[in-house]
Amino acid sequence: MTIDFIELENFRLHKKTKLKFSKELNYIVGGNGQGKTTILEGIYYLCTTKSLNQSSDIEAVNFDSNFFEVKGKFSDLTTNTARVYYDTEVNKKSIFIDDKQIYRASAVIGKFPVVTLTQSDHAITLGAPSERRKFVDSVISQSSETYLKILLEYNKTLRQRSSLLTQIKEANSKNLFDQLEAWTENLIKNGTEIVKHRLSFISDFNDYLKTAYENIMGEIENPEIEYSFLGECAAGNIENVFEEEIKKRREEELRRATNVVGPHRDDFEFIVNDYSLKKYGSQGQHKTFQIALRFGEFFFLNDKIGRKPVFLMDDIYGELDLFRAGKISDYLGKIGQAFITMTDFTKYDNLKKTENDLLINVKNGIAENA
Amino acid sequence: MLIAEPLQRAIDELSKLPSIGRKTALRLALYLLKSEKADVELFVKSLIELKEKIKFCSICSNITVDEICDVCKSRKRDRSIICIVEEASDIIAIERTNEYNGLYHVLGGVLSPLSGKDADSLNIHKLIERVENSEVKEILVALNPDTEGETTTLYLAKLLKPFGIRISRIARGLPIGGDLEFADEATIGRAVLGRVDL
Repeated sequence: MTIDFIELENFRLHKKTKLKFSKELNYIVGGNGQGKTTILEGIYYLCTTKSLNQSSDIEAVNFDSNFFEVKGKFSDLTTNTARVYYDTEVNKKSIFIDDKQIYRASAVIGKFPVVTLTQSDHAITLGAPSERRKFVDSVISQSSETYLKILLEYNKTLRQRSSLLTQIKEANSKNLFDQLEAWTENLIKNGTEIVKHRLSFISDFNDYLKTAYENIMGEIENPEIEYSFLGECAAGNIENVFEEEIKKRREEELRRATNVVGPHRDDFEFIVNDYSLKKYGSQGQHKTFQIALRFGEFFFLNDKIGRKPVFLMDDIYGELDLFRAGKISDYLGKIGQAFITMTDFTKYDNLKKTENDLLINVKNGIAENA
Repeated sequence: MLIAEPLQRAIDELSKLPSIGRKTALRLALYLLKSEKADVELFVKSLIELKEKIKFCSICSNITVDEICDVCKSRKRDRSIICIVEEASDIIAIERTNEYNGLYHVLGGVLSPLSGKDADSLNIHKLIERVENSEVKEILVALNPDTEGETTTLYLAKLLKPFGIRISRIARGLPIGGDLEFADEATIGRAVLGRVDL
């Protein structure tokens, strides 16, 4: 899937920007605060109806205006136009695909798959376990609607169960214990499904990660994601260990009135050459790992859903040495269409720009093809 | 704009109804205003009768005009099976199928700690009494397949197990006449897991 063009109106700095894109690499170049990332954000809005950094819609409206509009055309086997319109007066966002209004945002999500590689990805390898769960959940959810539904059910069960645990703590009624048992059984059932999905995803995804890492670094390092649930990796045993552990920690659950056992507390260990990345990894290894995760995600989704996602890469080159910058530039050639923001194109002699690639200059909210 | 007080009051009352907004309420009120007085009286009378005459069956809590509902009274119904539903409206849905000939039991909700629904607030005591004091051989649980419905099903299954009767649940799967390719993934996944032998 590719994007042919985009039109931004009153979208952050961009009062009125119209851009045609190349079906291969699109380098978006300009100084800080000139509106490079905004172009990526526009594309992201069309794919997901949401902003890149989870800011609210109203923040995306130009200061002198009371609405924004983003319009674009996607080409795959057929073409689709997509349009997002937001009005500050009524605080309402309208989404149109082929000029037909879409009332459920979920009908858009997954239609135009997108993979982003941004600075905030450092949280995936350096941050809390929740960041890694978020990454894993988002990749699996994009490839499996079933997983997304189970995840939503599981989260609802967590909320209900913790509410019940609180009631038990306050009232200490014997009758509620029977109900806790029912909620526990449901938690184990849904939780086991989640763990099984995650196990099979990780074993699949490791190959994609390795390939991506190799393409960025050469064959000198061996990356891996390790995942186990309470030390158990065999799908057949998950339900048993889950049940055992939750029995064992019953007192703790009652005392703290929270769900202490389950995949909502999972972590994923990132390994390079048999060593923990979190404990022993260098800054450079972290960066490479983050980039490999996103390239891996791209090719994983490409295989699973049979369509190329849109690839957005925000200001990554600034942190890379020339060797890896050159490698990534080569690797991008295999992606198809990608959008890459950077402050200075001339700095990187290693970047290979073919005649099909496009250079877009952005200055103070005005973008033009160079 | 100032609206005459009786009209405004009618609009306010109508807009309390579910899925009726202010505009629809206004339209309904104006429609009633234009209607014949006799028609409106009939309408009002039917609503008052609804409130005055409808009772809940003392056995199963179904909607009825007598002490005991038609299903519980009927001699034609199979008294060895009880179908548990969340609300009386679910009975109407199942009755329309003409596939079920047993008795019912209305729970009046499902377990949901977040909205303060626990087992005591459900119509469970009476269910136990019924199982203890009758010739029931099977309980069929027909609750919604969401988190709360599932948990309540599990809870009831545990609760009723000591009675040594058959406990079943309605199957989950594809709609009749539906196209496999148009069903959502989760439904097909469940249908595959719950496959039956031929």
